[in-house]
Amino acid sequence: MPTFTYGDISIEVDEDGFMQEPEQWNEEIAKALASTEGVEEMTEDHWKLANYLRDYYLKFGIAPMIRKLCKETGFSLKYVYEMYPSGPAKGACKVAGLPKPTGCV
Amino acid sequence: MIVNNGGTENLEITMSSINTRSHKAQKVIERMGKKLNRQIVGSLVACVHCGMCTNACHYVLANPDDPTYAPAYKADQIRKFFKKHYDWTGRVLPWWVKAKSLYTDEDLEELKDTVFGKCTNCRRCSINCPMGVDYATFNRMARGLLVSVGVMPEGVAVVSKDQWEIGNQMGVLKEDYVDTLEWLAEELQEEWGDPNATIPIDRTNADVVYSINPREVKYDPRTISDAALIFYAAGENWTMPSECWDMTNFGLFSGDDDLGGAVARRLYEKVEELSGKTLVISECGHGYRSTRCEGPNWGKLDVKFPMESSVITMLRYIREGRIKVDKSKNTTPVTFHDSCNNARSCGLFEEPRELLNLVCSDFREMYPNRTENYCCTGGGGAMSMSEYTPRRLKSAKIKADQLKATGAEIVVTSCHNCVDGLTDLIRHYKLGMQVTQLVNLVANALVIEKKVMVPVEEITADLAGYRILVADDEPDFVTFVATILEDNGAAVMRAYDGDEAIKMARHEKPDLMTLDITMPGKSGIEVFEMLKKDDDLKSIPVCVITGKPELRKLIYDRPTTPDGYMDKPITEENLLINIRKILKVHHHQETVESKKQI
Repeated sequence: MPTFTYGDISIEVDEDGFMQEPEQWNEEIAKALASTEGVEEMTEDHWKLANYLRDYYLKFGIAPMIRKLCKETGFSLKYVYEMYPSGPAKGACKVAGLPKPTGCV
Repeated sequence: MIVNNGGTENLEITMSSINTRSHKAQKVIERMGKKLNRQIVGSLVACVHCGMCTNACHYVLANPDDPTYAPAYKADQIRKFFKKHYDWTGRVLPWWVKAKSLYTDEDLEELKDTVFGKCTNCRRCSINCPMGVDYATFNRMARGLLVSVGVMPEGVAVVSKDQWEIGNQMGVLKEDYVDTLEWLAEELQEEWGDPNATIPIDRTNADVVYSINPREVKYDPRTISDAALIFYAAGENWTMPSECWDMTNFGLFSGDDDLGGAVARRLYEKVEELSGKTLVISECGHGYRSTRCEGPNWGKLDVKFPMESSVITMLRYIREGRIKVDKSKNTTPVTFHDSCNNARSCGLFEEPRELLNLVCSDFREMYPNRTENYCCTGGGGAMSMSEYTPRRLKSAKIKADQLKATGAEIVVTSCHNCVDGLTDLIRHYKLGMQVTQLVNLVANALVIEKKVMVPVEEITADLAGYRILVADDEPDFVTFVATILEDNGAAVMRAYDGDEAIKMARHEKPDLMTLDITMPGKSGIEVFEMLKKDDDLKSIPVCVITGKPELRKLIYDRPTTPDGYMDKPITEENLLINIRKILKVHHHQETVESKKQI
């Protein structure tokens, strides 16, 4: 299993760079993962989205539908893609410490 | 060539395997016998190891020093146990033909590594083989054998389970799916200021039933919005089913024909249940191949309605003049990546180019292309098998070089798998290109005259305040009539079949209704009869508009006759004269009757 290192951080990730042990997630790790996803700075909105994804995942064990995400955070689809250029499935989920979504994504 | 004498063969396997062969290996060998067909056996025995396939494979080109990537070598890992158990040469001269059985679970793991991890089933070697060996087909068979004993990458297992149990590969629930479509429809209506810009769910007798990939609804619904906008602009009578809408099929990747058949069957049955005329498949290579080409075979089904890729639907709309596009709206240089399943397996490669040239001003061809194009490296389910990602990205060097050489800034593809595979490799090789689909470009190039919303008090047209229901199964005709009436101030409701017409009449109580005679479901005559028998509805004036004047007699032979009658084709002037007259007469009658009551 590959290890992702960034500064003092060292975590186990899968071959696509998603966290293997989501329970170890913290803000420092999120910032480190964000650097691999074309996110230059984690703004307040970036955190709002990441925290929503994380809470949903911890509650239901899967990533939410984009519809739910937009409805609950109040962000438009376009804005979500602006914040996380690789999109909600890959970029945002990775930064929020979720495992890789299943299926063709 | 094949020697498969049933009982004796099985007995031999059983006898020789006691204590020496694992249960799973035993099952794989036994089950292979049932999977062998003419095409597979032909491919297994015809290879002469000439090496023509070697340079056809992107894995080989990216790993020139590793012979285990060569298609002939990979094929031999399956061929060896076929020869051992099902081919006479392997029995007589096993050392000569390199026949070797499978014994342990480790042997199966090794086979898994080859068939799932070193081949994307792209079929580029197949079309470059002078002997006609279709390696990808028996590679898929081997995947199916391993899956049948539970040996498969975890990603494949998870997705297959969702597709079996929930009905779509991302486990999207019905309420979430419907909620998403309603949200998209609301946004569309808001943007275009027209309540008809919608996404009809479960409409019966639609000309187009639109099926999608779950990733569209779960993560990136922009392709659904764009498709809906195109259908709206074309005045299409279309629908999306509320259930059984997944046109992807993991059966193609896992080699599990039972799953493949079950998934395809659900979709076909749904289209039949809705009495849909054509099933349109959104831009997805494996979905298109599974649904249109392989599904009927896996499910042993006879599919009666036509199925087409949305690429062809969009091209048709432009050719027929149903939508107008302006290529100057897409000026960034684009190139086109042919999906393996679309181009090599289904022959869909000229239509996307024709469409691209209609909606983009700077299209640059990629070389090689069409059936000779290289795989995006994410095919065959590779995107869901993380364990092989490093290999995938290494082999993607070939694709990266090919993309770079085009000088384009956007790569267009008609496959979701390719979108993800290409996005990944573009980031890995820092190419800075964007990936998009034809539906996005067509929607962006659309020329739609936005309806101007005029405040009610400013309307001076003489039909203002009247609510008119237009019932006709031809969407173009409905649009024509509705536009004329709306331009003159009327509020128009649209129904596309008899049942819908009755339902809307009851619900909306219009001031007038135009009615076609020949419609699917209830005919215009039946609708008319029902209206006139219903106390609540009998006062609604009806103007019959039909393309079959011979039916006029039928309707005029009845005790109650319609208030107006017109033959198609109609002119704007003629329509307005008739409608105004009917409304005037009706209004006069109502006034007389109310006076009588007083």
